[in-house]
Amino acid sequence: MPLRSTDAGWGALVRAFHWLIALMILVQAIIGLSMVGMGVTPAKVRVFALHKSIGMTILALVLLRIAWRSSERRPVDPPAMPRWQRRAARAVHLALYGLILAIPCSGWWFNSASGAPLVWFGWLRLPGLGGYDPFWKPRALLLHQSLVALLAALLVLHVGAALWHHFRQRDDVLRRMLRGAPKQHGGA
Amino acid sequence: MRKPCWGLLLLLAAAPAWAQAWQVDYAHSTLAFTNAYQTVEYTGQFRRFTAAIDYDPADLAQAKFDVTVDIASLDTHMAERDHAALGADFLDAAKFPKARFVTTAFHESANGEVLADGTLTLRGITKPVTLTVKFVPHGTSATLDVTAQLKRLDFGIGAGQWADPSMIGDGVTVHGHLVLRAGH
Repeated sequence: MPLRSTDAGWGALVRAFHWLIALMILVQAIIGLSMVGMGVTPAKVRVFALHKSIGMTILALVLLRIAWRSSERRPVDPPAMPRWQRRAARAVHLALYGLILAIPCSGWWFNSASGAPLVWFGWLRLPGLGGYDPFWKPRALLLHQSLVALLAALLVLHVGAALWHHFRQRDDVLRRMLRGAPKQHGGA
Repeated sequence: MRKPCWGLLLLLAAAPAWAQAWQVDYAHSTLAFTNAYQTVEYTGQFRRFTAAIDYDPADLAQAKFDVTVDIASLDTHMAERDHAALGADFLDAAKFPKARFVTTAFHESANGEVLADGTLTLRGITKPVTLTVKFVPHGTSATLDVTAQLKRLDFGIGAGQWADPSMIGDGVTVHGHLVLRAGH
């Protein structure tokens, strides 16, 4: 299982980044949607602290992922794929990267404007992005929620396109993100 | 020689009373505290309090502080936190609107610090509390800095579900900074 990506498939590290971040985003969505209605209890404080810690982890992973991707080739697109689809795929991927960077940052900003502490898994204290600010607090929250809504919409396209490639086009686009390079092409 | 003696005695009798009672300049005085939330320190203060200060560093036996704090005047620089802290789980300002500290005895510690023993009534619970006193006279005015270490759980503040000290620190450092003007 090669660590680096090849023309035929994604390397193990890119796939690990992809699925780990995907899983964490799913967990964040479940926590985020369920925590907002909670009453003010220690449980709510803990759940918020967990959401913040996972969010900061995602941010760090995305930065590492971008750094790693910058030294990686990307597998070639299926030959049958028209130009507009290649362009649309690149645009959606770029937007997804932008969002998974911007969403943790907007949450971080909202947390700071709320004057709330940010201690990564109760262990590492992170600085605020600006201090307590009742004016910007609701605006930062609105930004955070809007970006999440946009991410959800783009994920419908992203997941839909992956399933379409796999079940309708019957090409390797999803398989090479699951298992890397297909066997018939060799491992390189 | 009799008359000057009486005059001197009168002066001596009057002098301590004149020297001890101070008027607090509230515009320049603060009653602040430090506590930790999720291990991160924050500060707050009580904007309204009254303090009767009788203090002469040369006559600690006659010294007395009597301080009453308006709990609802809490300001932690964050409206949501103030609201939560004044609620029934914490300071319960509706039921316990005032806190009061009254000294019982002043003494000097081995390292020369002045300590004021007293009782603090907070959230309906009375406990002994000792202040460290730093008094600096400037002619007819003076500054008085007092510090005390409290434990919030001693006074039932956030007892029960909020008792976990890793979420809200048990230790509270109180710091009073009073600007005093000579009274009469």
